[in-house]
Amino acid sequence: MERLESAVEQISGFIYPNEIELHWGLLVVLYPYITGLVAGAFILASLEKVFKVKELEPTYRLALLTALAFLLVAPLPLLAHLGHPERSFEIFLTPHFKSAMAMFGFVYAWYLMLVLLLEIWFDYRADLVKWGRKAGRFKKFLYWVITLGSRDLSPEAVEFDKKAVHTITLIGIPSAFLLHGYVGFIFGSVKANPWWSSVLMPIVFLFSAIVSGISLVLLIYYVTTLFRRKQPEMACLDKLASFLLYALIVDFSLEILDFIHRLYESEESIGILSELIVSKLYLSLTIVQILIGTIAPLLILAYSRFSRLPTELKRVAYFIGALLVQVGIFGTRWNVVIGGQLFSKSLRGLTVYKLELGGIEGLFTCIGLLILPFVILYILIKVLPPWEEASLALSEDAAVSTASAD
Amino acid sequence: MKIWRIPDQVIRLAVVLVAAVAVLVVVRGRFVPASFGETGHYRADAVDVVAAQPIRYAGSQICVECHDGEGEAKSGSFHRTVSCEVCHGPAAAHAEDFESQTPLIPRERGAECLSCHEYLSPRPTGFPQIIERLHNPLQPCIGCHDPHDPTPPEVPESCSACHAQIARTKAVSHHLTLECETCHDAQAEHREEPRSFLPRKPTAREFCGSCHSESADSPADIPRVDLRDHGERYLCWQCHYPHHPES
Repeated sequence: MERLESAVEQISGFIYPNEIELHWGLLVVLYPYITGLVAGAFILASLEKVFKVKELEPTYRLALLTALAFLLVAPLPLLAHLGHPERSFEIFLTPHFKSAMAMFGFVYAWYLMLVLLLEIWFDYRADLVKWGRKAGRFKKFLYWVITLGSRDLSPEAVEFDKKAVHTITLIGIPSAFLLHGYVGFIFGSVKANPWWSSVLMPIVFLFSAIVSGISLVLLIYYVTTLFRRKQPEMACLDKLASFLLYALIVDFSLEILDFIHRLYESEESIGILSELIVSKLYLSLTIVQILIGTIAPLLILAYSRFSRLPTELKRVAYFIGALLVQVGIFGTRWNVVIGGQLFSKSLRGLTVYKLELGGIEGLFTCIGLLILPFVILYILIKVLPPWEEASLALSEDAAVSTASAD
Repeated sequence: MKIWRIPDQVIRLAVVLVAAVAVLVVVRGRFVPASFGETGHYRADAVDVVAAQPIRYAGSQICVECHDGEGEAKSGSFHRTVSCEVCHGPAAAHAEDFESQTPLIPRERGAECLSCHEYLSPRPTGFPQIIERLHNPLQPCIGCHDPHDPTPPEVPESCSACHAQIARTKAVSHHLTLECETCHDAQAEHREEPRSFLPRKPTAREFCGSCHSESADSPADIPRVDLRDHGERYLCWQCHYPHHPES
């Protein structure tokens, strides 16, 4: 009741009674943010496999594992938000096509089960068999389970794995587009909400997903090499920064296009939307999303990529740029989800969002849910090391042992 | 293990996939209720479960069969669309057995009225709203308003036409039921030439004392003072604003 009272004090204009409190809070902001990271990381991984961008080879497996770690966490914000998580499996048991939300079951099962897991499985299979041979009892058993007991390392089998990875990646690219385009579709198809209802919404979501995925992999690659006391490959970082810059330009252009389109079309909602932008969303949209999260990293990335900065400085600049991009993309999700609920359907008033610290919808839950994928990624990296040297060392060992046997 | 030319790993994956589908089929058979999908994308038995729930509300029609006086008063009032059980609570048990089952009779100042009439900015303009802590505090709503015909009390229009602000102030005070003429003796000419024929104000402490002195013959809930030692050198309205005495 106290929360309601303090919210009522900040309401402006006329709003309907059921619009005082926002129904979708921080947890729903988190959902498109995390799925965006998944789709973006996967699309980055596919660049190396399908489009043969050789510079990105060091991040291929890392990007796949990142996508998996975040995909495992992706449904949790929704489950926490909806309550009754024990019922969530019902979406898989009684699927249907009549609701965009219910499509989550299909999209998630297809993307997790068939695309991502299969690609990782085929890509790691040969290495897992080799690692299993040298590992201790527990790890040997673990690798045996993961490989489903497959031990065939014949050239034909390995060749088949490579082809399978290539084919799955080809299927995976439209799947990744589908995963995040679908999240954008959910918002874009809410006809009654002029802030969301736009055919550009899935496309904007998709490109912001690509931007966030690339920047996340750049950050993780940079930090993990530091912790492993290695030098990050500059060619790889340069390429990542280039792709991040290009994707950011496309993303920003699309958002500006969407904005201009709304202004030019100027429907009856334009009044309240302008008021929303200059009042309640001023900080999160203009300052955080556009200035700090888009224009600042655009300038930093463009300058550091195409100038003759010292390598060390360049790396730090890339890191800061990617970090700001994350802030900006989180801002994008915030402004879409929260912004779309701040104005009344009467188009005559604005309400307010009160962020809680504790509780299931609170800030601490969200921070926990944001840390969780990194914990999963840490475990995944321990089981499936994505580093080149882990794979190379074994192939050298194998070469040596084959030579000595000869 | 190679069957024709299918690679070993694909066979293993296929086995896992088949096993997973088999588990899904078994789980589906176990958890999806038998009546699911019969009449739509839901458990058809759910309709029977809902239908079997005990009835708690009787509906207004059955109330007015006995309480016809209240029903008639309500039927032409602002509350005509408000169902009886909104204020009196579920009354199906009372309708079944009116002697031993008594419905809620809200006599205290409380949520029954305020859930609709407490001030909230989103409520439509013109809808009667009050700020509870300012509107005649401590008095139960039904002390002044008849809930079955809640037409707001009005001061005589002849006064409020010119003294609208005073009328509005008085309307939310303890003195709302007093006619203006109770305290002001206004000559008929005041209406034509208001400044030449000013109405008189009470000139004696005893006038207020007729309700508020300790010996007054008035209802017990009216505040009392001892006129002998309570601000004896002043008239009451020199300290207390009579149109909103609680302010």
